[in-house]
Amino acid sequence: MTQKLPISTPRSPARWLPQETSLLKYLCLAPAIIYDSIFFLLPLIFLVWIGFWSVENYRAVPGFSLSNYLDIFSQFFTRSRYGFAIAQSLWVAFTTTALGILLCYPFAMALVFLVPERLQRLLLVLAIMPFWTSYILRLYAWQTILNNNGLLNTLLVRLNWIKDPLQIMFTQWGTRIGLLHYLAPIMILILYLVLRNTDRTLMGAARNLGATQWQTFWRVVLPLSKPGILYSAVFGLIISLGDVLSGTILGGGTGQSILGKFPLFSAIILNEYAASTNLPRTSALATLLIGIMIVILMTGFKLAESEQ
Amino acid sequence: MSTQQKRGIDLGLAIAGWVYLLLGFIFLMLPIVTLIAFSFENARFPTLPWAGWTMQWYQELLTDGRLLQSLQRSLIVSPLAAAAATVIGFFAAYALNRFNFPGKNLLSTLFIVPILVPPLILGVAFLGLLSRLNLQGQILSVFLAHVVILMPTAIALIGLRLAQMPKDIEEAAWNLGANEWQALHRVILPWAIPGIAGAWLLAFTFSFDEFIIAWFVSGFEPTLPVSIYTFLGANLSPSLNAMGTIVFGISVVLLIGVELLLLPLLLDRQSSVQKDETA
Repeated sequence: MTQKLPISTPRSPARWLPQETSLLKYLCLAPAIIYDSIFFLLPLIFLVWIGFWSVENYRAVPGFSLSNYLDIFSQFFTRSRYGFAIAQSLWVAFTTTALGILLCYPFAMALVFLVPERLQRLLLVLAIMPFWTSYILRLYAWQTILNNNGLLNTLLVRLNWIKDPLQIMFTQWGTRIGLLHYLAPIMILILYLVLRNTDRTLMGAARNLGATQWQTFWRVVLPLSKPGILYSAVFGLIISLGDVLSGTILGGGTGQSILGKFPLFSAIILNEYAASTNLPRTSALATLLIGIMIVILMTGFKLAESEQ
Repeated sequence: MSTQQKRGIDLGLAIAGWVYLLLGFIFLMLPIVTLIAFSFENARFPTLPWAGWTMQWYQELLTDGRLLQSLQRSLIVSPLAAAAATVIGFFAAYALNRFNFPGKNLLSTLFIVPILVPPLILGVAFLGLLSRLNLQGQILSVFLAHVVILMPTAIALIGLRLAQMPKDIEEAAWNLGANEWQALHRVILPWAIPGIAGAWLLAFTFSFDEFIIAWFVSGFEPTLPVSIYTFLGANLSPSLNAMGTIVFGISVVLLIGVELLLLPLLLDRQSSVQKDETA
């Protein structure tokens, strides 16, 4: 604050405008671009490349061989059953995301339209609180709740609502509950922000023109909140496909679902590396996951474009 | 017309809505309450009926020391990674907000991409690169990797704050003869502080809780979530509940920060001029 600004020399009006040729622009952008290039792009390029390496005498050997991929696809539906694991991952990710949106949307709506303005911020902070506590420890707590002799089953048996404990742990329902608890705070926040920005005058107009509250919802509120639903869906799918913890801690590794007792693809990638430290093969598996992600994201954006 | 009618919600629906909110909060809070309650229960396998109170799990946590050691490690690496991401993010957000140049939209999209890639993939990828550089298996590798995934939200949040700044303030500074650097650190930086602080908080939380990348690259210097994962596989102990309660205590402090900094940033967006800062 002590340094004086040179106010004695007035500048020409042209120089009041942002200087587009300024060096500052490059200096400010350089750190982010350089950092992302070295520690984001380079690792991803490496990942795809290492997928073509081979392993000899427990050492990764640079080169170009398709052996990893040939091996992976040769046991796609047999020994390691990657195909089934990918199907399980997609099934769990899509159902969890759909469930998340279906459950969080009414919650966010109630928050926006029912709760008095001055209470909303407090309730929103409470709703996103779980996000600020350790995810892995929340899963551990869910174990305590969902176990065969855990809190939920003890309570239900005491109330005589059920005779035998519900088997939730070590099924993909366990996985879904854990994932939902991770996704819900963010989905609620996204949907809340979008719904809060909904133009109230449009809703009022619809009501004045004789629309019922359901018609107002279907024709006005829901279409206006589509971006929020789309963001929530992308977020839910990316997290669910990449998560290992819920499937391991609550799903028990090979959780039962409609499709059968198969592990999630993400867990396979992690466990195969833990067991073998075979980086080339792990990289090939991860590259497959990238392919799946790209297909899903492209489909999502195509859908979003056709909506507009 | 009463307010209830103006909102167009009838009483039955309103009651259903409140009940739904209550059920939702029970779902959201249940694991946290469980964690805290059972950290004080005198039983090796946490279950009901209640077996009495104890502090022994906190004792065990202190004597064992492994979890505390990794908590310490996490409390060093996460604030630093968050700070680095926030500083780099601030400059990028400023440049994107202030200047126009060809490829600007593409660049701001590219800056977001790291959070669209599942951490699992990045974990394997980092391991590949870092093992070539002989940097794997240390806490430094966690730092280097985390900065990448923390930058996107930092750029987005600080960009949000900068977009709320009236453009004429910076121009006034120039008019008064400040050069670009002076305007940047005397005018723009003070304005951006709430955004920077909010971005740092969010980044810290992400890093502090991040498991998969840390699992792949941290090796013999595990962060807290990695330690807990190993612990879970080896021996279940209520001292995990005690750890959870401590972590929760840390996050309550953070939450107060969020309430003060982050939410106003997100909620006041609609009151200011809408900008196309999000690509």
